Amino acid sequence: MLRDQQAGLNVRLLVVEDEVRIAEILRSALSRAGFAVDAVGLCDDARAALAVNPYDAVILDLGLPDGDGLRLLKDMRAQGNAVPVLVLTARDAVEHRVAGLDTGADDYLIKPFAMSEVIARIKALLRRPEGALGALLKSGNIAFDTIGRDLRIGETVLVLPRRESAILEHLMRRAGRVVPKTVLEEKLYGIDDELGSNAIPVHVHHLRRKLMDRGATVEIHTVRGVGYLLVDGDA
Amino acid sequence: MTAPRLRSLQLRLAVQLAALFIIGSAAIVGVLVWRAYDTAGTLADRELSLRAADLAKYVAPASDGTPRLALPAALRDAYGAAPDADIFAVRASDGRLIAALPEAFGSVVERWPATTDDPSYFHLPGLAGKTQDYYGLGISVDSAVGPLSIWVARAAGATALVHSLLEEFVLDIAWVIPLFMLLALGVAILAIRSTLRPIREVSEIAASIGPGATSIRLPQANLPSEIVPLVSAVNRALGRLEQGFAVQRQFTANAAHELRTPLAIITGALENLEPNPEVGKLKVDVARMNRLVEQLLSVARLDAIALDVSGTVDLNDVAHQAVANLAPWALAQGRTLAFAGADRPVVVSGNAYAIDDAIRNLIENAVAHAPPRTEVTISARADGSVDVSDHGPGVPREDRERIFERFWRGRAAPAHGAGLGLAIVAEIMKAHGGNAKVDTGPTGGAVFTLVFPVR
Repeated sequence: MLRDQQAGLNVRLLVVEDEVRIAEILRSALSRAGFAVDAVGLCDDARAALAVNPYDAVILDLGLPDGDGLRLLKDMRAQGNAVPVLVLTARDAVEHRVAGLDTGADDYLIKPFAMSEVIARIKALLRRPEGALGALLKSGNIAFDTIGRDLRIGETVLVLPRRESAILEHLMRRAGRVVPKTVLEEKLYGIDDELGSNAIPVHVHHLRRKLMDRGATVEIHTVRGVGYLLVDGDA
Repeated sequence: MTAPRLRSLQLRLAVQLAALFIIGSAAIVGVLVWRAYDTAGTLADRELSLRAADLAKYVAPASDGTPRLALPAALRDAYGAAPDADIFAVRASDGRLIAALPEAFGSVVERWPATTDDPSYFHLPGLAGKTQDYYGLGISVDSAVGPLSIWVARAAGATALVHSLLEEFVLDIAWVIPLFMLLALGVAILAIRSTLRPIREVSEIAASIGPGATSIRLPQANLPSEIVPLVSAVNRALGRLEQGFAVQRQFTANAAHELRTPLAIITGALENLEPNPEVGKLKVDVARMNRLVEQLLSVARLDAIALDVSGTVDLNDVAHQAVANLAPWALAQGRTLAFAGADRPVVVSGNAYAIDDAIRNLIENAVAHAPPRTEVTISARADGSVDVSDHGPGVPREDRERIFERFWRGRAAPAHGAGLGLAIVAEIMKAHGGNAKVDTGPTGGAVFTLVFPVR
């Protein structure tokens, strides 16, 4: 928990949710995860808050008493506000409004959702290269500096070969979620023009070995036929 | 076996009609035969009476005053000709025999009492010189010499004419009666059958009515008018049931919908509590409840609105995505997922969300039944099918149909899950014109297959 608080020290989130209890719980869970949280229940309040504060991410419920969350999202984007938005929606709405979600939202979660999932998704948005947590990626007891390209595991610091660090970076940006092998191949293409079909598994194998040997709490799992995911074993 | 068979209207009518026809034709033929014999008897009586009167005409007093029978030659020849010719005897009122042919008959009647005006009948077996029995009558007739007692009899064989007439009647005419009745019975059975055919058709339609197909109504065309009130009453009852079902479904949908917010609150609140074993268990319980509510909503949605399956879906892509989405969850459950795709897109018509839902339900089901640290493999095949195979105990052959029914739970099933997941899968596949089935894999685990119709 302490780790997370440090991680999110300067991150400010806006929660737009009209259900008071859910807003309360989101606020308390996100605060405990180390984020500063503002919560509003109306579209108008959200507009006002967005105009005043630069938020690092927005959690947006679609059904609001004074308007449609998608409308608010569209207006934000029209004004050039590129803040990452995680939409909370009912499952039946996804099917009918998928177009709206695709254009405006960065990610969406179907209600009812687990709070840990909200936090994981928010972190994933913040871990994007331009995100608030995009420069120093943290997971479990490891931290990867995307600028300096060094990996800290507990107290030890090591520098990874380029391909391995590229793979780790992408796995860490999407920690807890599967990164398709094809995506990793695209990322490596610029580095390694002669990418053999076996290259990714070999790099992952080395990476796994290094993490394990140095007592990392995170693990890289293989999802055969799909890709890889990095999981914080302690989480 | 007999009791239900006799409950058949068709059989009951046929049996009763057949009985009626058999009794009826027997009675008619019987009456006809009896009447024929009766008439023949009456005719014979009349003829014998006339004979007696005829004989009396030829009785006259002789020169010595004694009555004598003076038969014309022709008549005498007629009486005496054949061995079975008619016989007669004439006695005077004082009991003296006037004439008899043959003589033996005379000696018989000498012992008999005098006749009266009413004919008295007799049967004369074994008359001397005659081989046949004789039947006849005795009657008093007035004559020139006063009242006479005259007995006239005819050989039994002489009724042969009547017999042959009757025989002819039975052979030529009477057989028509049972035949006619048989035909009538046939016509009746055919009429019953053709009347009942629409009812059979209606019952076939009725058999297809179930909770999933409540909008069907029984057709009333071609039905016998006696049955129409029943059928229309049944249709009205179906209408009321359908309404009830709709209310029920709406209730389920609304209830599930309304449960989501409090569930989200409980879920979130639990995650904000300090972790301890009790909270851990509660989280598992709430996760189960979340899943159940989600499935109830899926079911309600499938019931309420026809699935739009007009889209174009790459099964390879949907299955790949489903595996990617569920792999972290499966890992948390201690199982791994693997995907084996086809080497090219597997394009089918359908609804990508529904297909994703179906695959997701199969994966969740497989993960729940697979032993820990085993792999669940999802395969998309070029023939338009998706397999989900596990290394669990498999599905017993006898459960392979029922497993797709709502709220059905196998004996071996762990206590989680409401038995809705596979029913949702089956309904989604039905909406796609395909089907879901389960078989046994090479390791004995279950292999669930979604089969889509080929485009």
